[in-house]
Amino acid sequence: MQSVGSGTRGIRGLGVLAALAILVLALAACGGSSSNTPGTTSAGNAQKGGTAYWAEAPQATPNYIFPFAAFAYFSVANLTQFQELMYRPLYWFGQGAQPTLNPSLSLADNPTYSSGGTVVTVKFKPYKWSNGETVTPQDAVFWLNMMKVEKTIWAGYVPGTIPDDIKSISASGNTLKITLTGKANSNWYTYNELSQITPMPMAWDISAKGQKAGSQACGTASFTSVTTKTVKTSKGSTIAPLSAAAKSCAAVYKYLDGQSKKISSYVSSPLWSVVDGPWKLQHMDTSGNVTFVPNKKYSGTVKPHLAKFVELPYTSDTAEFNALAAHKVDVGYLPTQDITSPAKTGSNPCDLSGANNPRLSGYTLAPVFPWGINYFPLNFKSTANGGQAGKIFSQLYFRQAFQLLVNQPLYIKQIDKGYGVPTYGPVPVCPTNNFATSTESNNPYSYDKAKALSLLKSHGWNVKPGGTTTCTDAAKCGVPAGTPLNISLQYASGTASIDQLMQAEKSSWAQAGINVKLSTATFDTVIGTAVPCSGSSCTWQMENWGGGWIYAPDYYPSGEDLFQTGASSNAGTYSDKKADTLIKQTTQGNASLANYENYLAEQLPVVWQPNPVTVFEVNNKLGGATPINPLQTINPEDWYFTK
Amino acid sequence: MTGYLIRRIAQAIVVVLGVILLTFLLGHIIPGGAARAALGQRATPSALAQFNHEHHYDEPIWNQFWLYTWGIIRHFDLGFSYRNNQSVVSLIRERIPKTLVLVGLSTVFALLVAVPLGILQVVRRNKPVDYLLTGASFVGYSMPAFLLGQLLILYFAIDLHWFEFEAPQSSSVAGILADPRGWILPVFSLSAITIAGFSRYMRSSMMETLTEDYIRTARAKGASPSRVLFRHALRNALIPIITLLGLTLPAIVGGAIITETVFNYPGMGLLTTNAATQNDVPLLLGTTFIAAIATVVGNLIADILYAVVDPRVRYA
Repeated sequence: MQSVGSGTRGIRGLGVLAALAILVLALAACGGSSSNTPGTTSAGNAQKGGTAYWAEAPQATPNYIFPFAAFAYFSVANLTQFQELMYRPLYWFGQGAQPTLNPSLSLADNPTYSSGGTVVTVKFKPYKWSNGETVTPQDAVFWLNMMKVEKTIWAGYVPGTIPDDIKSISASGNTLKITLTGKANSNWYTYNELSQITPMPMAWDISAKGQKAGSQACGTASFTSVTTKTVKTSKGSTIAPLSAAAKSCAAVYKYLDGQSKKISSYVSSPLWSVVDGPWKLQHMDTSGNVTFVPNKKYSGTVKPHLAKFVELPYTSDTAEFNALAAHKVDVGYLPTQDITSPAKTGSNPCDLSGANNPRLSGYTLAPVFPWGINYFPLNFKSTANGGQAGKIFSQLYFRQAFQLLVNQPLYIKQIDKGYGVPTYGPVPVCPTNNFATSTESNNPYSYDKAKALSLLKSHGWNVKPGGTTTCTDAAKCGVPAGTPLNISLQYASGTASIDQLMQAEKSSWAQAGINVKLSTATFDTVIGTAVPCSGSSCTWQMENWGGGWIYAPDYYPSGEDLFQTGASSNAGTYSDKKADTLIKQTTQGNASLANYENYLAEQLPVVWQPNPVTVFEVNNKLGGATPINPLQTINPEDWYFTK
Repeated sequence: MTGYLIRRIAQAIVVVLGVILLTFLLGHIIPGGAARAALGQRATPSALAQFNHEHHYDEPIWNQFWLYTWGIIRHFDLGFSYRNNQSVVSLIRERIPKTLVLVGLSTVFALLVAVPLGILQVVRRNKPVDYLLTGASFVGYSMPAFLLGQLLILYFAIDLHWFEFEAPQSSSVAGILADPRGWILPVFSLSAITIAGFSRYMRSSMMETLTEDYIRTARAKGASPSRVLFRHALRNALIPIITLLGLTLPAIVGGAIITETVFNYPGMGLLTTNAATQNDVPLLLGTTFIAAIATVVGNLIADILYAVVDPRVRYA
């Protein structure tokens, strides 16, 4: 066959054409503009000015500005890392590396409790809104009035607690006096109830564009004049406004929520420009790019040093890591897969340190313990496994055996590269805090395979390591003889460390013949499945969404949201009268958390899991940014560049 | 031709409706439903019930489907994404230009490189150049996009500082194009795989065309090799490439998830993937609807182009 066209001029040009296309791209690159390096400052030690860049977590961009966030917008990205920079909560939590009340950043002095814990008095400090008005107790009443009407929307609402437990409120001068319907534990009320309030300016008390500030009655009405009724339907219950003040609150909420759905108008909106925090919004787009500039009328003690604070969105861990490696952000997080050296702990297990990724020279590693616990629920009402799954999970000895095979320190070391903290009960053991007891901190169920096997054998199970353990003595097992220990566990896909953890635990449980069948689904599918249920359709057994629970804005880890009978986030329908009593004592009585905490740590209402630590990277030239708070609230007003 | 077009458009409407219906039904079997996905883990049963009532999720599914379809017909209303706190239409309107630039540029670049390379391989068939390019094609085709993209970033952006580590962050086409330091690496990364594929198609198509009788006739009549190649063979050899281009249109709208992920470029691919993983039903329906339209339009355009390129093709 004849070779076609060899040696012709036109054909020689083909390779040239292909090369030309590549050359055009290369030339275009040379002509491109270079971007600014963040964090550059003029000479001097602690610099005034400069722009600090903060990396947002992937798929966690702020998108809701109104600090009365419904469930859909109730996130760290929206609340602590966006809204609170502009609209300060009544009480600020997070002090250095501690999740405690921070009096210096709070809008009011510490609350005082009187009349046996039924009256709460809050004295406001002289803070100002950026429009010149004073931040008054009535601004807090405005929020509470709205809460009364829209409580089913507010994600922090727990039935029976704020605002249901408020009998009356008086706002006079700089004093807010709240009279409760019953006695409240002062710690609990401050950390879990008052913590939710964010005073709102009267400029927001409108229900349509162009209205005069305060023209609706929601902001000015007394708490008792806002009356509602509960309307029960077959699909649940809703709150209907009764009084004129309540109706105006509903109208104001509707308007403000609607305005919050117009992200591109946030900057120009006369509503959102009224702030009492140290920052004002200068730019925001729907992709999550946010620029803050100092609120020049900020009346707090610490004024911003930076000229700008910028939050940047990232599509993935990889993209965020590249931004760090390119030195385009000043504070970002180090994805677990990019941790190159294992963490070291000193005498205090809550004190982690380690060598940085070699690509990240110029940054300091800053591990942050989350103020939360990690666990996955087991469904006490599950009708799977021949109707026996829920009954098996109800046996304390089974839960103990199951937990005894979870070697948390080993998994933290091998999977999280040391950047993790074990969960042994309902209270976080790190960061070091006054709430965790020694019983919980010392792990009541340290890994012990022999003990796990012994527990199962002594309760009538024919243990077959590597096979399937079956019940041989119904009276001891608590389930019919012949019941196998077959368990389904669905977990959230997409995170390599959770995959590894689940596989490691499956192998460990298999040593006792507990045959765990793993499956994966998206995070949303898992949380959609792990909901309280009953009846024949209630078939899920164990669901692990991989994130456990973050205590915010219910900072006091008293568990009424999680482990109280009937609590909406009690996914596995755990119910224990003693636990309910102990929870009540921590919320309404004077009891500390100790009894509740120790009891729950021993009762294992869920399967405790190791909790990964968030590892931040902070530009060495940025001062004041560490320690980062376990609540991941950020205070860029403290930040400054050094030469 | 007009009759053919009318028939194809009618078929397209049926296909798009079928795709919407299927996605709609699949979206309704996710655990917890759209309400749980939108409101999250803390949502109470009453909040879920209220959400379902407000959004008609408590009505019969056929009624929901009708309301959704009617919303599209009347106002092109594709619903609201609570995850993004934006309407689905505005989200798509925001992301499509980004993806159009990325996939469009890479497709044009791939064509500019792949067609000449394919021809060159035929011309130099079974010679070192052919072997070299064939080998390079296989490497390019088998190279994971994620790995290639990350290697390009680490070397050219982070180590050498020649390019940006991320794609342009502007939302406008002009803004993106004005930042070549940003778009060159993602475009090249995406093109590498396309070039490998297109050049292989081009090579085999051209080889087959050159065995046709009319090529032998042209040569017998004394046409020069380059005339045979470019005037007689090229046009017919391009037909498979047209098919590929027709199939590229959905990709232009559907996005390039891996490239978008690595280069921090939130386009349609990422939007669709996130909608699927986050059970964002309205957004998933919206992006699927747009992708379905792009697929049928892409195929229709390819069919019409066949007739333009090859006069033997006639549609009745």
